[in-house]
Amino acid sequence: MWAEKLRIRKNNVIADLYPLTKLWIAALYALCVLILGTMKIDGYPVYMMAAFLVVPILALLSGIFKKFLNVYKGIFTLCLFILVVQALLIKSEEIVWGFKLFGNFTINVYKGGLQKGLDLSFNIMNIASILAWFFQTTENKELVYALEKKGMSPKASYVFLSTLQMIKVLQHNSRVIMNAQQARGVETEGNLFVRARAFLPSMVPLIMGSIANTEERVLTLESKGFSVKCKKTHIFDVVPSGNERTAMIIAVTITILVVVWRVLAWVL
Amino acid sequence: MGVVIELRNVTYSYPLADKPAIKDVSLKVEEGKFYGVIGKNGSGKTTLCSIIRGFAPSFFKGELEGEVLLYGKPMSEYDQGELALHMGYVFQNPFNQISGVKETVFEEVAFGLENFGVPVEEIEERVMDIMKLTKIDHLAEQHPFELSGGQQQRLALASILVLEPDIMVIDEPTSQLDPEGTESVFEIISQLKKARKTVILVEHKVDLIAEYADEIFVLNDGELIKSGDKHDVLTDVSLLDHGVQLPQMAVLGHRLRKRGLNLDYIPITEKEAKDVIGRLIYREAQ
Repeated sequence: MWAEKLRIRKNNVIADLYPLTKLWIAALYALCVLILGTMKIDGYPVYMMAAFLVVPILALLSGIFKKFLNVYKGIFTLCLFILVVQALLIKSEEIVWGFKLFGNFTINVYKGGLQKGLDLSFNIMNIASILAWFFQTTENKELVYALEKKGMSPKASYVFLSTLQMIKVLQHNSRVIMNAQQARGVETEGNLFVRARAFLPSMVPLIMGSIANTEERVLTLESKGFSVKCKKTHIFDVVPSGNERTAMIIAVTITILVVVWRVLAWVL
Repeated sequence: MGVVIELRNVTYSYPLADKPAIKDVSLKVEEGKFYGVIGKNGSGKTTLCSIIRGFAPSFFKGELEGEVLLYGKPMSEYDQGELALHMGYVFQNPFNQISGVKETVFEEVAFGLENFGVPVEEIEERVMDIMKLTKIDHLAEQHPFELSGGQQQRLALASILVLEPDIMVIDEPTSQLDPEGTESVFEIISQLKKARKTVILVEHKVDLIAEYADEIFVLNDGELIKSGDKHDVLTDVSLLDHGVQLPQMAVLGHRLRKRGLNLDYIPITEKEAKDVIGRLIYREAQ
Protein backbone atom coordinates (compact mmCIF):
# COMPACT_ATOMS: atom_id res chain seq x y z
CA MET A 1 0.00 0.00 0.00
CA TRP A 2 2.75 2.47 0.96
CA ALA A 3 4.93 1.49 -1.99
CA GLU A 4 1.98 2.42 -4.20
CA LYS A 5 1.37 5.62 -2.23
CA LEU A 6 4.98 6.76 -2.53
CA ARG A 7 5.13 6.19 -6.28
CA ILE A 8 5.37 9.49 -8.15
CA ARG A 9 2.72 9.77 -10.81
CA LYS A 10 2.53 12.50 -13.41
CA ASN A 11 -0.40 13.33 -15.58
CA ASN A 12 1.73 14.08 -18.61
CA VAL A 13 2.99 11.41 -21.02
CA ILE A 14 6.40 13.06 -21.54
CA ALA A 15 6.99 14.03 -17.91
CA ASP A 16 5.96 10.52 -16.84
CA LEU A 17 8.73 8.88 -18.88
CA TYR A 18 11.33 6.81 -17.01
CA PRO A 19 14.11 9.10 -15.66
CA LEU A 20 16.87 7.37 -17.61
CA THR A 21 14.88 7.69 -20.86
CA LYS A 22 14.57 11.41 -20.21
CA LEU A 23 18.28 11.53 -19.44
CA TRP A 24 18.98 9.85 -22.80
CA ILE A 25 16.72 12.34 -24.57
CA ALA A 26 18.60 15.21 -22.91
CA ALA A 27 21.97 13.69 -23.88
CA LEU A 28 20.87 13.13 -27.49
CA TYR A 29 19.53 16.67 -27.67
CA ALA A 30 22.88 18.01 -26.43
CA LEU A 31 24.63 15.91 -29.06
CA CYS A 32 22.35 17.28 -31.79
CA VAL A 33 23.01 20.83 -30.61
CA LEU A 34 26.77 20.27 -30.73
CA ILE A 35 26.50 18.83 -34.26
CA LEU A 36 24.24 21.66 -35.44
CA GLY A 37 26.73 24.11 -33.93
CA THR A 38 29.30 22.98 -36.49
CA MET A 39 26.99 23.91 -39.38
CA LYS A 40 27.24 27.62 -39.98
CA ILE A 41 25.89 30.14 -42.47
CA ASP A 42 28.27 33.04 -43.03
CA GLY A 43 30.02 32.00 -39.81
CA TYR A 44 26.83 32.21 -37.71
CA PRO A 45 25.48 29.06 -35.92
CA VAL A 46 22.01 29.54 -37.43
CA TYR A 47 20.80 25.93 -37.04
CA MET A 48 21.87 25.73 -33.43
CA MET A 49 20.14 29.06 -32.81
CA ALA A 50 16.94 27.65 -34.31
CA ALA A 51 17.23 24.59 -32.06
CA PHE A 52 16.84 26.68 -28.94
CA LEU A 53 13.09 26.74 -29.60
CA VAL A 54 12.91 22.96 -29.17
CA VAL A 55 13.21 22.92 -25.37
CA PRO A 56 10.47 25.48 -24.63
CA ILE A 57 8.18 23.45 -26.93
CA LEU A 58 9.21 20.28 -25.10
CA ALA A 59 8.49 22.01 -21.78
CA LEU A 60 5.08 23.10 -23.06
CA LEU A 61 4.28 19.54 -24.15
CA SER A 62 5.54 18.23 -20.78
CA GLY A 63 3.13 20.52 -18.93
CA ILE A 64 5.83 22.45 -17.06
CA PHE A 65 6.01 25.56 -19.24
CA LYS A 66 5.34 28.09 -16.46
CA LYS A 67 7.90 26.56 -14.11
CA PHE A 68 10.37 26.20 -16.96
CA LEU A 69 9.95 29.84 -18.05
CA ASN A 70 11.24 31.08 -14.68
CA VAL A 71 14.50 29.16 -15.10
CA TYR A 72 14.67 29.96 -18.79
CA LYS A 73 14.54 33.68 -18.04
CA GLY A 74 17.63 33.31 -15.84
CA ILE A 75 19.51 31.27 -18.45
CA PHE A 76 18.50 33.77 -21.16
CA THR A 77 19.78 36.75 -19.13
CA LEU A 78 23.11 35.03 -18.50
CA CYS A 79 23.52 34.13 -22.16
CA LEU A 80 22.58 37.64 -23.27
CA PHE A 81 25.29 39.00 -20.99
CA ILE A 82 27.86 36.57 -22.43
CA LEU A 83 26.78 37.51 -25.96
CA VAL A 84 27.13 41.26 -25.36
CA VAL A 85 30.51 40.91 -23.66
CA GLN A 86 31.91 38.68 -26.39
CA ALA A 87 30.49 40.76 -29.24
CA LEU A 88 32.01 43.94 -27.83
CA LEU A 89 35.35 42.63 -26.61
CA ILE A 90 36.46 40.04 -29.16
CA LYS A 91 37.79 42.14 -31.98
CA SER A 92 37.86 41.19 -35.65
CA GLU A 93 38.35 43.10 -38.84
CA GLU A 94 34.71 43.33 -39.80
CA ILE A 95 32.47 45.59 -37.74
CA VAL A 96 28.80 44.64 -37.92
CA TRP A 97 27.52 47.67 -36.14
CA GLY A 98 29.06 50.64 -34.38
CA PHE A 99 28.15 54.05 -33.05
CA LYS A 100 29.87 57.03 -31.48
CA LEU A 101 29.13 57.40 -27.80
CA PHE A 102 31.03 60.65 -27.09
CA GLY A 103 34.09 62.29 -28.60
CA ASN A 104 36.25 59.65 -30.24
CA PHE A 105 34.85 56.84 -28.10
CA THR A 106 32.90 54.38 -30.24
CA ILE A 107 31.18 51.15 -29.42
CA ASN A 108 31.70 48.47 -32.06
CA VAL A 109 30.08 45.12 -32.44
CA TYR A 110 32.62 42.93 -34.20
CA LYS A 111 31.55 40.11 -36.51
CA GLY A 112 34.04 37.64 -35.01
CA GLY A 113 32.91 38.50 -31.48
CA LEU A 114 29.26 38.24 -32.45
CA GLN A 115 29.84 34.82 -34.03
CA LYS A 116 31.73 33.53 -31.02
CA GLY A 117 29.23 35.08 -28.65
CA LEU A 118 26.27 33.49 -30.44
CA ASP A 119 28.05 30.17 -30.55
CA LEU A 120 28.85 30.13 -26.86
CA SER A 121 25.61 31.61 -25.56
CA PHE A 122 23.34 29.36 -27.66
CA ASN A 123 25.38 26.33 -26.68
CA ILE A 124 24.93 27.21 -23.01
CA MET A 125 21.28 28.11 -23.47
CA ASN A 126 20.46 24.85 -25.26
CA ILE A 127 22.28 22.56 -22.87
CA ALA A 128 21.24 24.42 -19.70
CA SER A 129 17.62 24.50 -20.78
CA ILE A 130 17.45 20.78 -21.61
CA LEU A 131 18.93 20.06 -18.16
CA ALA A 132 16.36 22.43 -16.64
CA TRP A 133 13.60 20.50 -18.45
CA PHE A 134 15.03 17.20 -17.21
CA PHE A 135 15.23 18.23 -13.56
CA GLN A 136 11.82 19.88 -13.65
CA THR A 137 10.18 16.73 -14.94
CA THR A 138 12.23 14.36 -12.77
CA GLU A 139 12.44 14.33 -8.99
CA ASN A 140 15.90 13.80 -7.54
CA LYS A 141 14.98 10.57 -5.83
CA GLU A 142 13.47 9.21 -9.07
CA LEU A 143 16.79 9.78 -10.82
CA VAL A 144 18.84 8.36 -7.97
CA TYR A 145 16.81 5.17 -7.58
CA ALA A 146 16.73 4.67 -11.35
CA LEU A 147 20.52 4.97 -11.40
CA GLU A 148 20.81 2.65 -8.40
CA LYS A 149 18.77 0.07 -10.29
CA LYS A 150 21.34 0.37 -13.06
CA GLY A 151 24.11 -0.45 -10.61
CA MET A 152 25.09 2.85 -9.02
CA SER A 153 26.43 2.36 -5.49
CA PRO A 154 23.93 3.05 -2.65
CA LYS A 155 26.68 5.13 -1.04
CA ALA A 156 26.75 7.41 -4.09
CA SER A 157 22.93 7.73 -3.97
CA TYR A 158 23.13 8.60 -0.28
CA VAL A 159 25.74 11.29 -0.91
CA PHE A 160 23.65 12.78 -3.74
CA LEU A 161 20.35 12.82 -1.84
CA SER A 162 21.79 13.88 1.51
CA THR A 163 23.66 16.77 -0.11
CA LEU A 164 20.37 18.08 -1.45
CA GLN A 165 18.68 17.63 1.93
CA MET A 166 21.65 19.23 3.67
CA ILE A 167 20.33 22.65 2.66
CA LYS A 168 17.34 22.06 4.95
CA VAL A 169 19.62 20.91 7.79
CA LEU A 170 21.89 23.92 7.42
CA GLN A 171 18.88 26.25 7.32
CA HIS A 172 17.61 24.72 10.55
CA ASN A 173 21.03 24.94 12.23
CA SER A 174 21.67 28.49 11.10
CA ARG A 175 18.27 29.57 12.48
CA VAL A 176 19.20 28.07 15.86
CA ILE A 177 22.63 29.77 15.82
CA MET A 178 21.15 33.11 14.76
CA ASN A 179 18.66 32.95 17.62
CA ALA A 180 21.46 32.07 20.05
CA GLN A 181 23.60 34.96 18.77
CA GLN A 182 20.64 37.32 19.06
CA ALA A 183 20.11 36.17 22.65
CA ARG A 184 23.74 37.08 23.37
CA GLY A 185 23.21 40.54 22.00
CA VAL A 186 24.74 40.10 18.54
CA GLU A 187 22.74 42.15 16.06
CA THR A 188 21.73 39.89 13.20
CA GLU A 189 19.10 42.00 11.53
CA GLY A 190 19.38 45.39 9.91
CA ASN A 191 21.28 46.85 7.00
CA LEU A 192 23.90 45.06 4.91
CA PHE A 193 26.78 46.12 7.16
CA VAL A 194 25.06 44.82 10.32
CA ARG A 195 24.25 41.51 8.62
CA ALA A 196 27.82 41.17 7.31
CA ARG A 197 29.18 41.71 10.84
CA ALA A 198 26.88 38.98 12.19
CA PHE A 199 27.90 36.61 9.39
CA LEU A 200 31.23 35.37 10.80
CA PRO A 201 30.06 34.62 14.38
CA SER A 202 27.22 32.61 12.82
CA MET A 203 29.22 30.81 10.15
CA VAL A 204 31.94 29.44 12.42
CA PRO A 205 29.58 27.50 14.75
CA LEU A 206 27.48 26.47 11.75
CA ILE A 207 30.41 24.86 9.95
CA MET A 208 32.08 23.46 13.07
CA GLY A 209 28.74 22.11 14.30
CA SER A 210 28.03 20.47 10.96
CA ILE A 211 31.41 18.73 11.01
CA ALA A 212 30.84 17.55 14.59
CA ASN A 213 27.34 16.29 13.76
CA THR A 214 28.66 14.25 10.86
CA GLU A 215 30.22 11.78 13.29
CA GLU A 216 26.88 11.08 14.99
CA ARG A 217 25.15 10.84 11.63
CA VAL A 218 27.67 8.24 10.42
CA LEU A 219 27.13 6.18 13.57
CA THR A 220 23.38 6.48 13.07
CA LEU A 221 23.77 5.10 9.56
CA GLU A 222 25.85 2.23 10.92
CA SER A 223 23.14 1.53 13.50
CA LYS A 224 20.66 1.28 10.65
CA GLY A 225 22.79 -1.23 8.79
CA PHE A 226 23.83 1.11 6.01
CA SER A 227 27.13 -0.68 5.38
CA VAL A 228 25.60 -4.17 5.33
CA LYS A 229 26.70 -5.99 2.20
CA CYS A 230 23.46 -7.31 0.73
CA LYS A 231 20.99 -6.41 -1.98
CA LYS A 232 18.99 -3.50 -0.63
CA THR A 233 15.27 -3.07 -1.14
CA HIS A 234 13.38 0.18 -1.68
CA ILE A 235 9.79 0.91 -0.80
CA PHE A 236 10.00 3.82 -3.20
CA ASP A 237 10.11 2.47 -6.72
CA VAL A 238 10.48 4.03 -10.14
CA VAL A 239 8.66 2.17 -12.90
CA PRO A 240 8.57 2.80 -16.65
CA SER A 241 5.34 4.34 -17.96
CA GLY A 242 5.30 2.15 -21.10
CA ASN A 243 6.00 4.97 -23.55
CA GLU A 244 9.78 4.84 -23.23
CA ARG A 245 10.35 2.78 -26.38
CA THR A 246 8.40 5.21 -28.57
CA ALA A 247 10.17 8.21 -27.01
CA MET A 248 13.59 6.65 -27.58
CA ILE A 249 12.75 5.73 -31.20
CA ILE A 250 11.74 9.37 -31.88
CA ALA A 251 14.85 10.78 -30.12
CA VAL A 252 17.27 8.39 -31.85
CA THR A 253 15.63 8.95 -35.28
CA ILE A 254 15.99 12.73 -34.92
CA THR A 255 19.62 12.33 -33.86
CA ILE A 256 20.36 10.04 -36.84
CA LEU A 257 18.71 12.57 -39.18
CA VAL A 258 20.86 15.37 -37.73
CA VAL A 259 24.01 13.26 -38.13
CA VAL A 260 23.08 12.31 -41.73
CA TRP A 261 22.32 15.97 -42.52
CA ARG A 262 25.70 16.97 -41.11
CA VAL A 263 27.54 14.31 -43.09
CA LEU A 264 25.68 15.22 -46.30
CA ALA A 265 26.41 18.93 -45.78
CA TRP A 266 30.05 18.04 -45.28
CA VAL A 267 30.30 15.70 -48.31
CA LEU A 268 28.24 17.73 -50.77
CA MET B 1 19.44 -15.56 32.45
CA GLY B 2 22.33 -15.78 30.01
CA VAL B 3 25.05 -13.19 29.74
CA VAL B 4 24.78 -11.29 26.46
CA ILE B 5 27.57 -8.76 26.91
CA GLU B 6 30.66 -9.03 29.00
CA LEU B 7 33.48 -6.56 29.55
CA ARG B 8 36.66 -7.97 31.06
CA ASN B 9 39.14 -5.44 32.46
CA VAL B 10 38.44 -2.98 29.68
CA THR B 11 40.53 0.17 29.45
CA TYR B 12 39.97 2.47 26.52
CA SER B 13 41.69 5.67 25.41
CA TYR B 14 40.59 7.91 22.57
CA PRO B 15 43.29 8.77 20.02
CA LEU B 16 45.61 11.57 21.25
CA ALA B 17 43.98 11.51 24.71
CA ASP B 18 46.25 11.92 27.76
CA LYS B 19 44.32 9.52 29.94
CA PRO B 20 41.90 6.65 29.39
CA ALA B 21 38.18 7.44 29.13
CA ILE B 22 37.35 4.02 30.60
CA LYS B 23 39.60 2.36 33.18
CA ASP B 24 39.65 -1.31 34.00
CA VAL B 25 35.91 -1.86 33.72
CA SER B 26 34.49 -5.34 34.13
CA LEU B 27 30.78 -5.95 33.90
CA LYS B 28 28.17 -8.42 32.73
CA VAL B 29 24.90 -7.65 31.01
CA GLU B 30 22.25 -10.34 31.32
CA GLU B 31 19.58 -11.08 28.77
CA GLY B 32 16.21 -9.38 29.28
CA LYS B 33 17.40 -7.05 32.02
CA PHE B 34 17.17 -3.28 32.10
CA TYR B 35 20.39 -1.52 33.06
CA GLY B 36 20.71 2.12 34.01
CA VAL B 37 24.07 3.85 33.54
CA ILE B 38 24.60 6.92 35.71
CA GLY B 39 27.46 9.24 36.56
CA LYS B 40 28.34 12.89 36.33
CA ASN B 41 29.24 14.55 33.01
CA GLY B 42 32.50 13.27 31.55
CA SER B 43 32.44 10.11 33.66
CA GLY B 44 32.61 7.87 30.57
CA LYS B 45 28.96 6.85 30.15
CA THR B 46 28.79 7.50 26.40
CA THR B 47 32.22 5.93 25.87
CA LEU B 48 31.06 2.82 27.71
CA CYS B 49 28.03 2.66 25.40
CA SER B 50 30.28 3.07 22.35
CA ILE B 51 32.44 0.17 23.53
CA ILE B 52 29.40 -2.00 24.20
CA ARG B 53 27.97 -1.18 20.75
CA GLY B 54 31.31 -1.81 19.05
CA PHE B 55 31.87 1.75 17.82
CA ALA B 56 34.99 2.04 19.97
CA PRO B 57 37.60 1.28 18.87
CA SER B 58 36.39 0.24 15.36
CA PHE B 59 35.01 3.69 14.47
CA PHE B 60 36.65 6.05 16.94
CA LYS B 61 39.98 4.18 16.73
CA GLY B 62 42.01 4.64 19.95
CA GLU B 63 43.39 1.89 22.11
CA LEU B 64 41.36 -0.79 23.85
CA GLU B 65 42.78 -3.21 26.37
CA GLY B 66 40.85 -6.11 27.83
CA GLU B 67 38.01 -8.07 26.26
CA VAL B 68 34.54 -7.16 25.03
CA LEU B 69 32.34 -10.16 24.35
CA LEU B 70 28.95 -10.30 22.71
CA TYR B 71 27.21 -13.65 23.18
CA GLY B 72 30.59 -15.00 24.27
CA LYS B 73 32.31 -13.99 21.02
CA PRO B 74 34.83 -11.12 20.84
CA MET B 75 33.22 -7.94 19.53
CA SER B 76 36.01 -7.55 16.94
CA GLU B 77 34.77 -10.70 15.19
CA TYR B 78 31.42 -9.11 14.34
CA ASP B 79 30.98 -6.80 11.37
CA GLN B 80 28.91 -3.62 11.74
CA GLY B 81 25.95 -5.14 9.89
CA GLU B 82 25.71 -8.08 12.30
CA LEU B 83 26.04 -5.71 15.24
CA ALA B 84 23.21 -3.55 13.88
CA LEU B 85 20.96 -6.61 13.90
CA HIS B 86 21.91 -7.57 17.47
CA MET B 87 22.14 -4.12 18.99
CA GLY B 88 20.20 -0.92 18.47
CA TYR B 89 21.76 2.40 19.43
CA VAL B 90 19.85 5.61 20.06
CA PHE B 91 21.77 8.86 20.55
CA GLN B 92 21.15 12.05 22.52
CA ASN B 93 20.40 14.41 19.68
CA PRO B 94 17.29 13.32 17.79
CA PHE B 95 17.99 15.71 14.91
CA ASN B 96 21.28 14.01 14.04
CA GLN B 97 19.62 10.61 13.90
CA ILE B 98 17.60 11.45 10.84
CA SER B 99 19.16 9.86 7.77
CA GLY B 100 18.71 13.01 5.72
CA VAL B 101 17.65 11.17 2.57
CA LYS B 102 14.01 10.36 3.28
CA GLU B 103 11.10 12.69 2.78
CA THR B 104 8.51 11.06 5.03
CA VAL B 105 8.51 9.61 8.53
CA PHE B 106 7.35 6.29 7.08
CA GLU B 107 10.33 6.05 4.74
CA GLU B 108 12.69 7.13 7.52
CA VAL B 109 11.52 4.28 9.77
CA ALA B 110 11.80 1.88 6.83
CA PHE B 111 15.38 2.96 5.99
CA GLY B 112 17.11 0.35 8.19
CA LEU B 113 14.97 -2.49 6.86
CA GLU B 114 15.72 -1.40 3.28
CA ASN B 115 19.42 -1.60 4.09
CA PHE B 116 18.98 -5.20 5.24
CA GLY B 117 17.11 -6.08 2.05
CA VAL B 118 13.84 -6.96 3.81
CA PRO B 119 11.02 -7.55 1.28
CA VAL B 120 8.77 -4.52 0.71
CA GLU B 121 5.58 -6.18 2.01
CA GLU B 122 7.30 -7.10 5.26
CA ILE B 123 8.79 -3.61 5.57
CA GLU B 124 5.33 -2.04 5.33
CA GLU B 125 3.92 -4.35 7.98
CA ARG B 126 6.79 -3.90 10.43
CA VAL B 127 6.96 -0.14 9.95
CA MET B 128 3.22 0.26 10.55
CA ASP B 129 3.43 -1.83 13.73
CA ILE B 130 6.38 0.07 15.14
CA MET B 131 4.88 3.46 14.27
CA LYS B 132 1.77 2.52 16.22
CA LEU B 133 3.87 1.36 19.16
CA THR B 134 5.87 4.58 19.21
CA LYS B 135 2.74 6.66 18.52
CA ILE B 136 4.03 8.33 15.39
CA ASP B 137 1.62 6.66 12.96
CA HIS B 138 -0.29 9.94 12.56
CA LEU B 139 2.96 11.60 11.41
CA ALA B 140 3.71 9.00 8.72
CA GLU B 141 3.49 11.42 5.80
CA GLN B 142 5.33 14.33 7.43
CA HIS B 143 8.90 15.31 6.68
CA PRO B 144 11.24 14.09 9.48
CA PHE B 145 12.90 17.50 9.81
CA GLU B 146 9.54 19.13 10.48
CA LEU B 147 8.83 17.17 13.67
CA SER B 148 9.26 18.47 17.21
CA GLY B 149 12.20 17.25 19.35
CA GLY B 150 10.04 14.70 21.18
CA GLN B 151 8.56 13.41 17.95
CA GLN B 152 12.01 13.17 16.37
CA GLN B 153 13.31 11.15 19.33
CA ARG B 154 10.32 8.79 19.05
CA LEU B 155 11.12 8.53 15.35
CA ALA B 156 14.76 7.72 16.21
CA LEU B 157 13.59 4.97 18.58
CA ALA B 158 11.13 3.63 16.00
CA SER B 159 13.84 3.57 13.29
CA ILE B 160 15.97 1.31 15.49
CA LEU B 161 13.21 -0.74 17.10
CA VAL B 162 11.88 -1.71 13.69
CA LEU B 163 15.09 -3.74 13.21
CA GLU B 164 14.00 -5.82 16.21
CA PRO B 165 17.40 -5.87 17.96
CA ASP B 166 17.75 -8.02 21.07
CA ILE B 167 19.76 -5.35 22.86
CA MET B 168 19.06 -1.62 22.95
CA VAL B 169 21.70 0.91 23.97
CA ILE B 170 20.03 4.25 24.60
CA ASP B 171 22.22 7.25 25.37
CA GLU B 172 20.43 10.10 27.17
CA PRO B 173 17.39 10.04 24.92
CA THR B 174 15.59 12.74 26.86
CA SER B 175 18.40 15.22 27.50
CA GLN B 176 17.01 17.65 24.93
CA LEU B 177 13.33 17.03 25.55
CA ASP B 178 10.65 18.77 27.60
CA PRO B 179 8.74 16.81 30.30
CA GLU B 180 6.05 15.80 27.80
CA GLY B 181 8.65 14.56 25.31
CA THR B 182 10.50 12.74 28.09
CA GLU B 183 7.32 11.00 29.18
CA SER B 184 6.52 9.88 25.65
CA VAL B 185 10.02 8.44 25.19
CA PHE B 186 9.87 6.59 28.52
CA GLU B 187 6.49 5.14 27.52
CA ILE B 188 8.30 3.43 24.66
CA ILE B 189 11.19 2.36 26.89
CA SER B 190 8.70 0.79 29.28
CA GLN B 191 7.32 -1.20 26.32
CA LEU B 192 10.84 -2.55 25.75
CA LYS B 193 11.00 -3.66 29.34
CA LYS B 194 7.67 -5.45 28.95
CA ALA B 195 8.96 -7.13 25.79
CA ARG B 196 11.92 -8.43 27.85
CA LYS B 197 14.50 -6.73 25.66
CA THR B 198 17.95 -6.13 27.10
CA VAL B 199 18.19 -2.38 27.61
CA ILE B 200 21.21 -0.27 28.57
CA LEU B 201 20.05 3.25 29.27
CA VAL B 202 22.25 6.24 30.05
CA GLU B 203 20.17 8.85 31.83
CA HIS B 204 20.71 11.71 34.25
CA LYS B 205 17.11 11.59 35.46
CA VAL B 206 17.69 9.13 38.32
CA ASP B 207 14.01 9.10 39.28
CA LEU B 208 13.20 7.58 35.92
CA ILE B 209 16.10 5.15 36.18
CA ALA B 210 14.80 4.10 39.60
CA GLU B 211 11.41 3.47 38.04
CA TYR B 212 12.49 1.32 35.12
CA ALA B 213 15.93 -0.21 35.70
CA ASP B 214 16.71 -3.58 37.25
CA GLU B 215 20.39 -2.95 37.76
CA ILE B 216 22.62 0.11 37.80
CA PHE B 217 26.17 0.87 36.69
CA VAL B 218 27.73 3.95 38.28
CA LEU B 219 30.72 5.51 36.55
CA ASN B 220 33.13 8.08 37.88
CA ASP B 221 36.17 9.33 35.95
CA GLY B 222 36.01 6.28 33.71
CA GLU B 223 35.86 3.79 36.54
CA LEU B 224 32.94 1.58 37.45
CA ILE B 225 32.56 2.56 41.09
CA LYS B 226 29.37 0.68 41.87
CA SER B 227 27.05 -1.77 40.18
CA GLY B 228 24.26 -4.09 41.12
CA ASP B 229 20.60 -4.13 42.13
CA LYS B 230 18.96 -0.71 41.81
CA HIS B 231 17.92 -0.64 45.47
CA ASP B 232 21.43 -1.28 46.69
CA VAL B 233 22.95 1.30 44.39
CA LEU B 234 20.40 4.10 44.43
CA THR B 235 20.16 4.24 48.20
CA ASP B 236 23.91 4.54 48.69
CA VAL B 237 24.59 8.05 50.00
CA SER B 238 28.29 7.77 49.14
CA LEU B 239 27.31 8.33 45.51
CA LEU B 240 26.60 11.95 46.39
CA ASP B 241 30.37 12.41 46.89
CA HIS B 242 30.87 11.45 43.24
CA GLY B 243 28.37 14.00 41.97
CA VAL B 244 25.63 11.41 41.40
CA GLN B 245 22.16 12.37 42.56
CA LEU B 246 19.94 9.94 44.38
CA PRO B 247 16.25 9.58 43.53
CA GLN B 248 14.07 12.10 45.38
CA MET B 249 12.30 9.32 47.26
CA ALA B 250 15.64 7.89 48.46
CA VAL B 251 16.68 11.33 49.72
CA LEU B 252 13.31 11.62 51.49
CA GLY B 253 13.75 8.15 53.02
CA HIS B 254 17.22 8.99 54.34
CA ARG B 255 15.95 12.26 55.82
CA LEU B 256 13.02 10.55 57.51
CA ARG B 257 15.35 7.95 58.99
CA LYS B 258 17.66 10.70 60.19
CA ARG B 259 14.70 12.22 62.03
CA GLY B 260 14.18 8.94 63.81
CA LEU B 261 11.42 7.39 61.75
CA ASN B 262 11.79 3.65 61.52
CA LEU B 263 11.29 2.96 57.80
CA ASP B 264 11.31 -0.68 56.72
CA TYR B 265 13.51 0.21 53.78
CA ILE B 266 14.68 3.24 51.80
CA PRO B 267 12.28 3.76 48.90
CA ILE B 268 13.54 4.79 45.48
CA THR B 269 10.25 5.26 43.65
CA GLU B 270 7.00 7.03 44.46
CA LYS B 271 5.21 3.70 44.68
CA GLU B 272 7.70 2.35 47.18
CA ALA B 273 7.55 5.58 49.21
CA LYS B 274 3.78 5.23 49.48
CA ASP B 275 4.20 1.62 50.55
CA VAL B 276 6.87 2.27 53.18
CA ILE B 277 5.13 5.32 54.62
CA GLY B 278 1.82 3.44 54.60
CA ARG B 279 3.42 0.64 56.60
CA LEU B 280 4.90 3.15 59.03
CA ILE B 281 1.55 4.85 59.59
CA TYR B 282 -0.12 1.46 60.07
CA ARG B 283 2.48 0.45 62.66
CA GLU B 284 2.22 3.77 64.47
CA ALA B 285 -1.59 3.53 64.51
CA GLN B 286 -1.42 0.11 66.15
